[in-house]
Amino acid sequence: MNSVVVLALAVIVFFLGYRVYAKTIDAKVIKSDPKRATPATMYMDGVEFMPTSKNILFGYQFKSIAGAAPIIGPIIAIQWGWLPALVWILLGTLFIGWVQDYTSMMISLRNEGTSFGGLSYRLISPRARIILLSFIYFYLLLIAGAFGNVVVSTAIALKSAPMAWLFLTIGGVLAGQMIYRWKKDILLTTVVTVFIALAGIFLGGIAPSDQLIGESLANSRVLWTIAAFVFCYFAAVLPIWRFALPINYVASYIVFLGLLFGVIGILILHPDFTLPAYTDFTIKIGPIWPIMFVTIACGAISGWHSLVSSSGTARQLESEMDARPVGVGVMFIEMCLAIFALIIAGTIYASAADYGAAVAKGPGGVFAAGVAKFLGALGLSETMGRSYGSVMMIVLAITIMQLVIRFMRVATSELLGDVSPLFKNAHIGTFVASVLGAVLVLTGWWQYLWVLFGGANQLMASLALMLVTAWLMSEGKNAAWTFYPMIFMFVTTVSALLYTSYSLLSKVLTGAVQGEALIGNTLMGLVGFFLVIAALLLGVEGFKAFGRYRTLKAQPTSA
Amino acid sequence: MSKDEKEKKKGGIFQAVKEFVYGVAAHDSARFALKTRASMEHLFILITMGDMLGVPILPPYYSLRLLPYVVPQISTWKRRMLREKDLTDALA
Repeated sequence: MNSVVVLALAVIVFFLGYRVYAKTIDAKVIKSDPKRATPATMYMDGVEFMPTSKNILFGYQFKSIAGAAPIIGPIIAIQWGWLPALVWILLGTLFIGWVQDYTSMMISLRNEGTSFGGLSYRLISPRARIILLSFIYFYLLLIAGAFGNVVVSTAIALKSAPMAWLFLTIGGVLAGQMIYRWKKDILLTTVVTVFIALAGIFLGGIAPSDQLIGESLANSRVLWTIAAFVFCYFAAVLPIWRFALPINYVASYIVFLGLLFGVIGILILHPDFTLPAYTDFTIKIGPIWPIMFVTIACGAISGWHSLVSSSGTARQLESEMDARPVGVGVMFIEMCLAIFALIIAGTIYASAADYGAAVAKGPGGVFAAGVAKFLGALGLSETMGRSYGSVMMIVLAITIMQLVIRFMRVATSELLGDVSPLFKNAHIGTFVASVLGAVLVLTGWWQYLWVLFGGANQLMASLALMLVTAWLMSEGKNAAWTFYPMIFMFVTTVSALLYTSYSLLSKVLTGAVQGEALIGNTLMGLVGFFLVIAALLLGVEGFKAFGRYRTLKAQPTSA
Repeated sequence: MSKDEKEKKKGGIFQAVKEFVYGVAAHDSARFALKTRASMEHLFILITMGDMLGVPILPPYYSLRLLPYVVPQISTWKRRMLREKDLTDALA
């Protein structure tokens, strides 16, 4: 099949989802009302609650949800063939993905901007909040591990990446100084710092890491793991304006330009899919159901989106009518990003064997090769294109990683601060989170780690849908359109986590793995089982809440 | 379509793209800068005017001198201080 046909299919699904399904739900079930005051207008404080233009929020929501996952997921999932991956990306987004993003925004919008912790306390039970917070902590740990693995494997597979990453960091830190300390013009700051980042991409191409620090150090997983987590450590403990935010600022231009020109390159080259449409029901990491469904991750549905939508975007919406363009529209753009990644993986290799050899070194190499090919259509050399693609991959992964480690620091302080005052120390919390993440990166096989992350991510999404279902029932609204997706995602993700955890722990118990893999398999298996248990407990709490709301609905209202 | 409408539409699309790029690149930075300033200001008001929330601070002479400058922020400050906060708020 030609890639332009796939893009056309994505546009049709976008239209159906946005203009038909979402519009009907928005008008008939949720009944968005432009006259109803939103939390941003009711509680405006000029900080968190601030009415903001829907165009700005569209960009903000896109930046917040579009990390490495919608790109890496399809690159791995194409091992089952591009057709099942394509079908799940399109149908998953059409029936479940946008539903979760949009409703997470609406539930917070109609509940005074309350985030998921408070909502689970109020709508389900106080115990549900504690379980949810513990679940989120380990879910974030898996994000740190899976994305850390992507950063490390990309730095090893593409020797131009470390130099580009270093220059991006320098450019970002300089941007923070120029904006906040030296009070320089934003345009000047942008031009200077983006130029520094682009210079790093150029230098990375002509001075790769193996030539600068030697073959053994350039291929050292330990070195790049330490580099990744030291980066996240600074992002977590330094004032956010000094490190994390300005680096994200500079990085956003690099990613935005890369995606824009990459899509133009696809349209110019419009290649055919060269990999098989379908390979096998079961591959090395597991069967197509449930494993492929969770491997795709954010390209179809993602729990991360619900956390961002409820705690950030919902507090800034100026009107209820903006929830559909922002919540639904951005999810469909994310779907297009996943399609972009699927086209990259499916069209750039001559055979499945070539793809297999490339993906064995990590998904970063596949993505960078694709970016190089499509930017090549616009005249960029392959070396520079690969260098550009490698830094895009690192940036997409590490910007989410640093946010996750920062949040885990706060969570450690909140959850364990009463046990010992030591945990209230920012450095201790960051150190604990960084060490746990680094152990996962160094000891876990990246494909299993990715499946566990994808399972936890989509399980988070099903828990978000559970919360939304409870809310819709409490309001007496039709909840079938969230209830059935919730059941499907719950069963799929729990099955995926159980399958993967069992596979990992059975190797430990039978003595099939030793050394680093023994630690990695044990840790990943136990985290997977913990998430399943937490989700089942939350499921029980959720169904008790559904029962309560059904009883309330059945009771006749007093006159 | 009249000339004015055409120009307005052109400006509208340009403005939308500009806002989108701002949203991707800089909105978060602006929010965090505002958050930092608000936290400092609210801490200062708590120290000087905490009695308004029931924190037992004896109102000193200087609090009264500052009061006219603080008045515009009192309602926002009270709302932020008394609002129930949750760990998941820290995600955005």
